[in-house]
Amino acid sequence: MSEPVAERKSSHPPRAPGQRREEERTPPAAQRDDLIRTVLGESEFADLYTEHSRAIYYLALRLLSDPQKAEDATHDVFLKAFRKMDQFRGESSWRTWLYRITINHCRNLQQSWNDRHMLSNADEAVWENAAAKTDSPLRVLETKELGERIQKALDALPGEYRLLLLLVADQQMSYEQVGALTEQSADAVRGKLHRARKAFAALFQQSA
Amino acid sequence: MNRQTKLNSQQQHDEQQLAAARQMQQPAPLEFATPEEMLRHDALHTAVPPTIAFRLQESIGKTPARPLSWWRRLLGGSGR
Repeated sequence: MSEPVAERKSSHPPRAPGQRREEERTPPAAQRDDLIRTVLGESEFADLYTEHSRAIYYLALRLLSDPQKAEDATHDVFLKAFRKMDQFRGESSWRTWLYRITINHCRNLQQSWNDRHMLSNADEAVWENAAAKTDSPLRVLETKELGERIQKALDALPGEYRLLLLLVADQQMSYEQVGALTEQSADAVRGKLHRARKAFAALFQQSA
Repeated sequence: MNRQTKLNSQQQHDEQQLAAARQMQQPAPLEFATPEEMLRHDALHTAVPPTIAFRLQESIGKTPARPLSWWRRLLGGSGR
């Protein structure tokens, strides 16, 4: 599944030194791909699912904070994609197109959930007044502890910052693409990203 | 007295070796320079439940075939 090269290359967020590329397949990933081929067969849709399902599931997981809801959302997003694949005009990358479906789907789910529970947003003062050392590296002892702490920190962030961080963390996404998805300029993304990083670091350090 | 000193020294040596072994068993803490780096690591270690692919296969099987557009019917195309 190829993507428009021109869109993918511009203003790419820098990769941290020593950072592994997601495309580097680990053996479990290879087994997972084989399973997908067995289940979904050899098709353009199977290619789409193989390449993007991890990113879509991860975004849904961190936006919805619930593995079961994320599983349902990923299923619904790809089913929608399957039904609308022939309407895809290539004006954006496949990843951007799938992210847009995911973001809208998760927003609808959260909206209906919030309507039922009348919850207010997280207390922004928690991170705004936090005196955390945001320049120091973020440390964690074990990978299994990492997911829980990330979720806690993301849940306490304003929704806009949460989405920005999750999208920018994807190395396939340029600032322009993130801006298009969040309806703002690439410069606005850069500006907000700085504050989002600071807020996340403060909340993450508090979650220890 | 000499024997006692020898024993103490042996005990100290054993304790040092034990501490070194314990330290080697402990995983090194993960360290990330930025939140994005941390999120990428987390995403890479988050497994996609295989049930999604099975559920999709089932749902796609239930999806009725789309009617061909007029131009595809005209050209005798089979669609996807």
